[in-house]
Amino acid sequence: NSYQLSSLPLQILFYVNGIYYIFYFLATLAMIVYKSDVFSYPDDFLAPDLALLFIMAVLEVLRLHLGSKGNLTEEEAPLGLSLVITVGSVILAVYFLVWQTYVLKADVILNALLLFTYGLESVLKVVAIAAFVS
Amino acid sequence: PPETRAAAQTRSGPAPVTDVAKLCVCDLLVAQCDVNCCCDPDCSAADFSLFTTCSVPIVTGDNRLCSQKAAVYSLDVEANPPERIFKLTDQVNPSVFCIHATNYKQALSFSSPQMPTSENFDQLLEEFGSATFSAEPDSWNMNTDAQNPSDANETRRYEYGVPIQTADAFLRLPSPVISSWCSDANPAGFLVNQATKCTRSVSVGNCGNIQAVSMLFYIDSSILAVNITVQSVVVQSLNGMRTLLNGSDVLRLPMILDELCINIVLGVSYHITYTDTGEIIEAAASFVLGAINKEALSIQQSFEISFTQVNTKPAPRSGNPGYVVGLPVRAGFRPQGYPFPVEILFNTNKYGQLTILQSTSSQDCLTAQGARTPVLFGYNMVSGCKLRITAAMKCQPLTQTLLDLLKGQTFPEYVASFGNSQAQDVLDWVPITHLQASEQRIYNTFQSSCQIPVSLEIEVKWTKYGSLVNPQARIVDVTATITTTTLKQLPSGRERTIPVTSSVVFTDISSPAEPGYKAWPTINVKLPFDFFFPFV
Repeated sequence: NSYQLSSLPLQILFYVNGIYYIFYFLATLAMIVYKSDVFSYPDDFLAPDLALLFIMAVLEVLRLHLGSKGNLTEEEAPLGLSLVITVGSVILAVYFLVWQTYVLKADVILNALLLFTYGLESVLKVVAIAAFVS
Repeated sequence: PPETRAAAQTRSGPAPVTDVAKLCVCDLLVAQCDVNCCCDPDCSAADFSLFTTCSVPIVTGDNRLCSQKAAVYSLDVEANPPERIFKLTDQVNPSVFCIHATNYKQALSFSSPQMPTSENFDQLLEEFGSATFSAEPDSWNMNTDAQNPSDANETRRYEYGVPIQTADAFLRLPSPVISSWCSDANPAGFLVNQATKCTRSVSVGNCGNIQAVSMLFYIDSSILAVNITVQSVVVQSLNGMRTLLNGSDVLRLPMILDELCINIVLGVSYHITYTDTGEIIEAAASFVLGAINKEALSIQQSFEISFTQVNTKPAPRSGNPGYVVGLPVRAGFRPQGYPFPVEILFNTNKYGQLTILQSTSSQDCLTAQGARTPVLFGYNMVSGCKLRITAAMKCQPLTQTLLDLLKGQTFPEYVASFGNSQAQDVLDWVPITHLQASEQRIYNTFQSSCQIPVSLEIEVKWTKYGSLVNPQARIVDVTATITTTTLKQLPSGRERTIPVTSSVVFTDISSPAEPGYKAWPTINVKLPFDFFFPFV
């Protein structure tokens, strides 16, 4: 189908990413609650962790919406913006993987999976942008 | 100054040990081998061969970490001689919620407390100086500021025993110290009723110069915004006769009159009125003034202080609030004719309260009439006397005499439940239950002879009330049992002696403390009654 430039794998990945992110958000939130109960988690450390989690959720929604729209309407601008936001999401995922107050093994697994997904998405986005531009 | 700063730096605590191979909890003796302590570096192989078991088998850090070093100590009893095995292993926590890493340094170990130096002392005192530690010392700042009123202008709340403050010092109650000479440095404590007597050296020549014999000395100071008023002045003449003066607002200072020095203070009695929050609202002093003549070299002064709560009548307490062993049991009457008992009337006189017959040396009931002893809390008492019955004695007057003997003239109706029960709190008073028992077991229905009371037994049931660490004695029930016996008619000329006894028994009916466990919270879920519509 040479007239269809939208990338199907990318769209599938967006869909899977959305579902996975909902699970990720709820699990990370639950684990922060668990950590604040079991460990010594003072407010100075709890507040940044929670704030960054919510910022990440907002960015994710924006990112997935823009990416999906750009892919379906075959426009490179929203897709490019989504790619830029992905950089921010990657940094936040790295924060939750390495710089969080308490990094549990479950955190490592969740964030590693998320980073893998982001990486795959970024590659596919670049390919799609290249296809749209040309 | 530099030398103190250097000293402060060297005074830091020892560095924490984090290497599990070097950590040994059972190594208590320095340079000596601890028994069964496999990690002790002071033990040699010969010592290890004598151990039976390892008291510390494994030393690890926090076992919530995903992977950590562990030092495992064990004894190989198969070998001959037994030897200790030391292994440094990696312990893995299989749970998915194990801590992989942490960026919060104080998370998994106890932090060393800060060493107080002159710089951080104030901040540490703010944080840890009160009864509770505050994590945010700034939020407590406002509270401590609000609790620092200017003490001089506000009424001060006192606790038991705290010296009563006056404008310049403490309210003084002169008392004898070591010898019988007066010392003016004894402060009066709040709610501590005191009465002291001491000797002061005074003569006609210097009676005007000694401050402590003049009225002014005792009413000059004001008790923190309350002035000491003169309640009454009694003048005692040289032969000991006392007269109460009518106008008591005139200050009488010592002065020399006809070779006598008059208006010398012989006694002061302070009456302090306080509220139930511990503030002093009134202070009054009653004086006894006397005179000395030329030959007198010293006088004896007596001082007294008593405290009354506002709106209550002063009454001697037998404990506060629980009864104190050895103090009299307080009792009283309910005034007749009132539909609702307003308050219990009780006599402040010791002997007007609950009393029992007192045994006398003559042991004859009729000659010892009137001798009674007050019932003291916690002291079981038995007393009695012997009654000589002649044939001429009639039944009814004898019964009445014996009842008067056993119960006394005024046997109270109510007993105070607590040592400090107020007269107006009617519910704090326990009614005395009266029972009658007969000595004869077999009841002869044809008995028309008279029954005379021969024994009165008062049983006071008390319980421990209040907190477990400071239980207070509380009287719960008082029963007065009169036991009667048949008075058999005597042939004329014969006499009989019967013993009459009365006793008081205190029984502790407090139930032992039981542990109380909090109940599990229950989930209260109710389905609406038509939940299973249309099947139900």
